[in-house]
Amino acid sequence: MQFFGGTEISPSLPAATASGNNGHMMYVFNRNGICLLYREWNRPLHTLNAQQDHKLMFGLLFSLKSLTAKMDPTSVEKGNLGVPQLPGQGCSFHSFRTNTYKLSFMESPSGIKLILITHPRTGDLRESLKYIYNLYVEYVVKNPLYTPGTPIRCELFNTALDQYVRSIS
Amino acid sequence: MGREVSESCVDSLLTEMVSMYCNRLYANKPELAASRIDAIGYQVGHQLSERYTMERPRFTDHLDAIKFICKDFWSELFKKQIDNLKTNHRGTFVLQDNRFRWLSRMSLDPSPENGDVPQENSEAAAENKAAQVPNMHLHFSCGVIKGALHNLGIACAVSADTSHLPACSFVVRIKP
Repeated sequence: MQFFGGTEISPSLPAATASGNNGHMMYVFNRNGICLLYREWNRPLHTLNAQQDHKLMFGLLFSLKSLTAKMDPTSVEKGNLGVPQLPGQGCSFHSFRTNTYKLSFMESPSGIKLILITHPRTGDLRESLKYIYNLYVEYVVKNPLYTPGTPIRCELFNTALDQYVRSIS
Repeated sequence: MGREVSESCVDSLLTEMVSMYCNRLYANKPELAASRIDAIGYQVGHQLSERYTMERPRFTDHLDAIKFICKDFWSELFKKQIDNLKTNHRGTFVLQDNRFRWLSRMSLDPSPENGDVPQENSEAAAENKAAQVPNMHLHFSCGVIKGALHNLGIACAVSADTSHLPACSFVVRIKP
């Protein structure tokens, strides 16, 4: 089986967009903002160091969620901007797309945030993110050696995740 | 027959039990923690074998009893049988399960951190530590097998070996 990593990009993407493409990455945050997992399969451009990158990503999502909930035209009650919402309360965005990448987001009721960054022509990844959350529950939460709230270091999870992401695009 | 309970509950209960005995109650005495966990498993195995042999006739010899453990007992507990049984015909049996259910989600840190320890030492230490942790979780299963066999009239000692997760071998030594 071919290993999906390094500089190889998904075969469906034309070669012209290969330069400057963020490609595939994955972040998992918990409710306190701790980055539990950061996986990188194809990221030619690194602008920040790891800590700043994680903080930036978490801050971005926090603000985006808050903003999208505030601007919801169908909701009746409007709290103040910046008031933290319970997961599942109000509306939450699930993806945004630029001309070079698509970011898909899912938050579980327990506050676990899954972020998957793929090439821009990816379809709706909500089902995929639910599957990945399932992998997280099976191989991380139920792993007797894992302490909740610490970075994920489980080989079974990494292998299953790599295999699944390879099959998405 | 009997009532059912969710498998996730049992898994979480076992994990927490090992964690409590190893980290809180007997934090610096792993042998005591191991023997306590073994004793709990013993009680469980004792009662389970009573329940599962209710309608069966008595076992004629040791091999029959071990085969019962491998087939019926294991199927009741884990919905599968022992994959491989070896014996030296002198009272030692090796029961091998290629995918032990209680270890199936356990996985170790793929990249051990190297501080300023020399390469060979840190690898051996990491391997050592890695081998110890699954063993703690296995004391319960060893106790279950021991209790079940004691109830069938066979005194024995059981130990486990996990050189390849998730496969696991239990070595049963029958006391003469």
